[in-house]
Amino acid sequence: MYKEKSDASAGEAALSPEQYQPIDMLAVAAAREVMDGDIVFAGTGLPMLAMSLAQLSTAPKSVCIYEAGSIDGCPCSIPSSVGDARCIENASVSSGLFDVFHQLQRGWVDLAFLGGAEIDKYGNVNTTGIGKYGVVPEKRLTGGGGNPDINGLAKKTVFIMVQEKRRFKEQVDFITSPGWRIPKWPEGEVLDKKDVYNRAYRGGPTAVITDMAIFRFDEQGEMYLDTVHPGCTVQEVQEKCGFELNVSRVSGETKAPTRGDIQLLYTRIDPERIFLP
Amino acid sequence: MEKKKAQHMGLSEAVAMIRDGDLLTFSGFTIWRRPMAAIYEMIRQGKKDLHLVEVQGGTHSDLLIGAGCVRIWESCWIGHELYGKLGGNLARKAEAGEVIIEDYTHMQLLCRMAAGAMGLPYYPTYAGLGTDHLNPEYDHLGKLGYRDGSYPKIPKKKYELVKDPFFDSELVHVPACNPDWCIVFTQEVGSEGTVRIQGQRFSDEEAIKAADKVMVLAEHVVSEDYIRRDPDRNLIPHYMVDAIVECPWGAHPTGCYGLYEPDGRFIQDIYKKTRTQEGLEAWLEEWVFNTSDFDAYLHKLGVPHLKVLKANPAEKHSTLIKRGKA
Repeated sequence: MYKEKSDASAGEAALSPEQYQPIDMLAVAAAREVMDGDIVFAGTGLPMLAMSLAQLSTAPKSVCIYEAGSIDGCPCSIPSSVGDARCIENASVSSGLFDVFHQLQRGWVDLAFLGGAEIDKYGNVNTTGIGKYGVVPEKRLTGGGGNPDINGLAKKTVFIMVQEKRRFKEQVDFITSPGWRIPKWPEGEVLDKKDVYNRAYRGGPTAVITDMAIFRFDEQGEMYLDTVHPGCTVQEVQEKCGFELNVSRVSGETKAPTRGDIQLLYTRIDPERIFLP
Repeated sequence: MEKKKAQHMGLSEAVAMIRDGDLLTFSGFTIWRRPMAAIYEMIRQGKKDLHLVEVQGGTHSDLLIGAGCVRIWESCWIGHELYGKLGGNLARKAEAGEVIIEDYTHMQLLCRMAAGAMGLPYYPTYAGLGTDHLNPEYDHLGKLGYRDGSYPKIPKKKYELVKDPFFDSELVHVPACNPDWCIVFTQEVGSEGTVRIQGQRFSDEEAIKAADKVMVLAEHVVSEDYIRRDPDRNLIPHYMVDAIVECPWGAHPTGCYGLYEPDGRFIQDIYKKTRTQEGLEAWLEEWVFNTSDFDAYLHKLGVPHLKVLKANPAEKHSTLIKRGKA
């Protein structure tokens, strides 16, 4: 179902904010980050919606790899997680983690969607613990999973996050996932990513999409505000960001979802409303 | 190595072979194909001080940790996917200082298991560079004195950064893991132990081959003659398997390709009810201690509950289940 190109989203006018849900904006904005032909690592939830939407509209030749071990599946109904039986329907290969993570390390992955609890201006992300971490952590989160591996080794990564001051921080409490300026252990000297990854360096975070805005990273690997979603202002975004935000490169308003996008999301991609409200 | 013969046995007898303090790993991925019947039985038998190294955690390990069976958890992620965003029991136990967490990345753990499976002492990777997984401050086992060489299953270092001797590069070498046991759930095992796994194989091959001993819970034990008609569909040779337990529905509430969906509502209920220690104990009382064995657990669930989860043979997943809000 996913690869059958639809004409529904072509050339339609953007909707106004009361005509869609915040999650729709996230899915549509994320889908637009997929270039046709990209090999994409995606995870459970919003990335599945975004990837499916891209494949049905602007990027029909893109390929989806799920980290549990499925490659280019075309399921009849959306998987509820990446281990789902549905992931391998009409797939190119069903394998396992050893295969897909080594493909990632080999440099096959163009784009990946990731999430996080905290992010700093260099795209370092925390999903491990809040507060003081250590033998006895103050507040343990779910842990990094494949986030560090994927953010470290894919050409481009896009983070999908909630815009909150406590999440956009000067310094994250634990660097689970490596951004553009990272510590070189065991000394911990902070260097550019390319000087830490050397031969395996091929890129890093390129965008952060939140419920309010889209951020990108400049030549120094520092985050800047690119577009604000319809109904939000630059001022409101700055208020929900814990570090001084570079707003000198704002390019305008994020293009809202179209009726075609919404139709695809709600009638083709997730009609069961597993992830959609 | 001497050729072993896999023993057929009941679940309680098989689980009784696991000793307190053993290092365990499991088949599956998050909420898929976990050996849940063995998890419940370990809790019933009151296992203590278990050391888990798993490529990633899930409902199975969060319950085992909540029940107080685990001392050390080396992994990268724990949760219940869509049905619970956090491993609530691990979080509570770790924040109370009752369980030691050692964090690696997903790929690093995979490499640790792969090294174990290949008979190598370590494995090189770029994974985890520039992250706090390599911060010496968070080498928790080292900080607590477990890396003094007196624990045979705990490596003397968490990792080593090594200059690549051939090209201009630097890599993370992660130590091999060789668990005492890998506990597996699969669709089919041959009567002599040949393992077939259908659908995605996750990190099962590495986990099974890394382990010293392998316990296979299977939906069906089939004849070796049958399973050897299609050897290209088999994953593990019979001589690697020590114990075979025929255990239909043994992965419930996690899912199994071609057999059943994850029981999302049941998992969500576990997540919500076990956020406190009292809640966890009440849940265990109801579903583990008040059910004398796995048959009693299935009886309590009942056929009407299970039939909705059952996979359609053409689709490999259930067509009866209501998954979403629509």
